Amino acid sequence: MALDTCQNLEDVELLARFAKGDRAAAQVLTARLAPFVFALAFRMLGNRAEAEDITQDSLLRLWHAAPDWQPGQAKVTTWLYRVTSNLCIDKMRKTKRHSAEAVPELPDDRPNMERRLQDRARAQALRAALGGLPDRQKQAMTLRHLEGLSNPDVAQIMQISVEAVESLMSRGKRSLAHALAPQKKALGLYDDG
Amino acid sequence: MDNDFSPAPLNDQDLDALFAAAQRDTLELDPKLLAQLQTQAAAALPQPAAPKRRRLRMSGMLSQVVAQFGGWPAGAGLAMAGAAGVVIGVSPPDAVLDVTSAYFQTESLSELSGIGLEAEFNWEDS
Repeated sequence: MALDTCQNLEDVELLARFAKGDRAAAQVLTARLAPFVFALAFRMLGNRAEAEDITQDSLLRLWHAAPDWQPGQAKVTTWLYRVTSNLCIDKMRKTKRHSAEAVPELPDDRPNMERRLQDRARAQALRAALGGLPDRQKQAMTLRHLEGLSNPDVAQIMQISVEAVESLMSRGKRSLAHALAPQKKALGLYDDG
Repeated sequence: MDNDFSPAPLNDQDLDALFAAAQRDTLELDPKLLAQLQTQAAAALPQPAAPKRRRLRMSGMLSQVVAQFGGWPAGAGLAMAGAAGVVIGVSPPDAVLDVTSAYFQTESLSELSGIGLEAEFNWEDS
């Protein structure tokens, strides 16, 4: 099938075509999903090389799952959120990352450098604090607050109830608020009072 | 002097500022990696079933029988020997022709095998 035609198809339709050996579907699906997976992995890990590894791994798993994919079971992105976030958590657990150890990759030709430096410092501190949370809290917080998903979407990805997500979120936020408190000034956060 | 002052936890506004910063802190996917991923995806494409191969597949029983006789190599040898037998039968070489002519020119089958003589000999003895 032609690339142009594939561009208009839903992910699940492309995956079905992939399962039938359609090369164009493979190309379009990769171009569509790889940046999405990489962005999620990088937001969780803060390290390009690791995020690239996770991207490759996630997509390979998707390709292997394609022949048995049930169209009604879940959205492809939901499945990828689940697989990718789980892989990232495994990676964080293996490397026991509890501090900001990622090597910063800062573009030197962009405006608002100060702002970007602060964003990077805040993002790294947040990732480090997230790394100290229990796995389920970490996953829920990431999907809700870094990916911007709704609680029902997070519940579907994690295969738990919305109430359970809210509980994880509440405990996670409390833990983060205490864990990051000593870095408040360093991160440019000041009390109003 | 001990300082038991512990900083106040972050409020929701602070946390939101951190989450927003982390959302902005992104990198672009390397185009080289994307090309590599597309190559991997193409390599992972399931291969469509080849109908011709199915015709070549033996049924379970036939494959068992062939296996009993040593598999396809032995089967090929057997077929070759059979074909050679047919050729020799239809158009025998001179050497084979001499042997068969000599064999069938004997007066009787008993004479040829020696059964009749031996039977006669045994009869006289008893």
